[in-house]
Amino acid sequence: MHRKKIHMMGLIGGLVMGGVVLASSASAETGPTAAMLANTCAGCHGTDGISGGPAMPTIAGFPANHVKTLMKEFKDGSRPSTIMGRLAKGYSDEEVALIADFFAKKKWVSANSHANSKLATAIDPALATKGKKIAADAKCDKCHEDDGKFQDDNTPRLAGQWLDYLLFKMQDYKNAALKVPQEKKMEKAMEKLTAEDLTAIAHFYASKK
Amino acid sequence: MSMLKLNRRGFVKLSGAAALVGLSTSAVHRPLFAADKEKEKGRVVVIGGGYGGSVAAKYIRLADPGIDVTLIEQNEHYYSCPLSNWVVAGFRDLEVQKWGYEGLKKHGIKVVHEQATEIDPAAKTVTTKGGTKFKYDRLIVSPGVAFKPVQGYDAEAEEKMPHAWNAGPQTVLLGKQLAAMRDGDPFILVAPPDPFRCPPGPYERASLVAHYLKKNKPKSKVIILDPKDKFSKMPLFQGAWTKLYGFGTDKSLIEWIPGGEGGKVTRVDAKTMTVYTDMAEYKSSCINVIPPQKANAIAELAKLTDDSGWCPINFDTLESKIHKDVHVIGDAAQATGLPKSGYAANSEAKVCAAAVVALLNGQKPGEPSFVNTCYSMLSPTFGISVAGVYKVVEGKIKEIGGGLSSADAPEFIRQQEATYNESWYQSIMADTFS
Repeated sequence: MHRKKIHMMGLIGGLVMGGVVLASSASAETGPTAAMLANTCAGCHGTDGISGGPAMPTIAGFPANHVKTLMKEFKDGSRPSTIMGRLAKGYSDEEVALIADFFAKKKWVSANSHANSKLATAIDPALATKGKKIAADAKCDKCHEDDGKFQDDNTPRLAGQWLDYLLFKMQDYKNAALKVPQEKKMEKAMEKLTAEDLTAIAHFYASKK
Repeated sequence: MSMLKLNRRGFVKLSGAAALVGLSTSAVHRPLFAADKEKEKGRVVVIGGGYGGSVAAKYIRLADPGIDVTLIEQNEHYYSCPLSNWVVAGFRDLEVQKWGYEGLKKHGIKVVHEQATEIDPAAKTVTTKGGTKFKYDRLIVSPGVAFKPVQGYDAEAEEKMPHAWNAGPQTVLLGKQLAAMRDGDPFILVAPPDPFRCPPGPYERASLVAHYLKKNKPKSKVIILDPKDKFSKMPLFQGAWTKLYGFGTDKSLIEWIPGGEGGKVTRVDAKTMTVYTDMAEYKSSCINVIPPQKANAIAELAKLTDDSGWCPINFDTLESKIHKDVHVIGDAAQATGLPKSGYAANSEAKVCAAAVVALLNGQKPGEPSFVNTCYSMLSPTFGISVAGVYKVVEGKIKEIGGGLSSADAPEFIRQQEATYNESWYQSIMADTFS
């Protein structure tokens, strides 16, 4: 299990980084606290990172290293975004680490069980069933295991994410001109999938709890 | 142990013992049976339950449920100004803009629907119109804005030439006037001078009205009479106007007359539906007057304002520079460097809440971090934004990172930002009222 080994390394990396974070937050007593920094995100991502939808992603419970990577890519411009590239420039690596750790400790709430779920594009059960098969054929589940519920430092949780967000991101990942940072196998899978396929896949993952 | 907290956790139907078991897992910051301790922790009164005050009240309770918080808000419902321009242009219902205070009560906040009429900073009390006195250890004032006089613009004129700058009936009134306007009449928008609530707001309104006119009244156009020579997100607005509404051509659906070219309005006449500038006069059946602004009445009455009409504050704690133990947040505050936006009010509220919690616990307030994220709609599928992260550096609020949407972003990005605008609204409203 080659990938599991990578997970282990990621975990060790996380522990080392965690140590660094502790040291820096202890020494930088003058900086804003994790809560002070992270609470400013709530205006868009919702209180404790649980988005009010329909398109802003829920980030509660995201692995800290995943958030750190995303923020680094937003900041250096390698990851395209509408707004996060601009906001990420406002934070130091230490501050990003505090924000990432804050949200990592919060509990995920699936969009399809959120009070605002009706605001999102309605999940089409037939499309979701079709999407499940397309995702299986495209081997999405090799990384996005457990119907997209699995997450690690490189793999965002898809199950129960806001559908409109998944639809936007699918289109972005498919759009070669945007050069979204992604693994080769993801890029190749995206090449073969049509816009209709991606819509069905988004409905499938959004339908999961 | 007050019943309010039992309600908050939803254990009201459980037996006392079961409720205590439930509470013991959640009430980390306070011992059980802490009614007396609660009094020691202190009382906070918040005036104004909008984007600022509601958030301050909630985040104090989230950080320290031992602090007693009373929110004084005269209205039983709140109508959000952000996204209310959509209502004016006829593609959103005002009901979607309406919020109540039940969610805040669940956090143990005492909500009082009365008008605060007096602040006594020496006795540390707030008095309401009904004569009730509330004692505070710390007061947070988030009253929003009031209008400065415009010659000819009185209460009666407000009904004929709506400002629609406080959301609610005024929003609906302006929308109705736009719908009833004769095809060929101009929609006159009188923009305010800086500083004012929601800097891109008048220009978003002009855009969405133009979108409406394009479909429904193609012989009409928007005329913006502006005392200023530049405005928020100006290149983005004008770029989009060129693309969507023929801006700059003789068929433009939007005409912008800046201060230097006769945009300064000197007086209005609601009887003849005329607006006078220093160079010309404009008549229409649909006139939107957004007057110059200042901090709302209670701030002025309590002498929290200076000559500018706004409330000077300490940026680290949002505490008034005039009255001790009184904090001012939101549009009324002179948070120079931050725009007077809903998101900035939310952010100021959280900095203020953290400072108040620290001070009431005998601790030094931490370092603040502010964010502003503000979307504007140019059409229902065309969104732009401004975003910024701010810190206090050498006594001034400084933008550390941020900026505007790219001027040459492709159409799908504009569409994504339009959808994110609705998301912004849903998340920030849940953050405010749930």
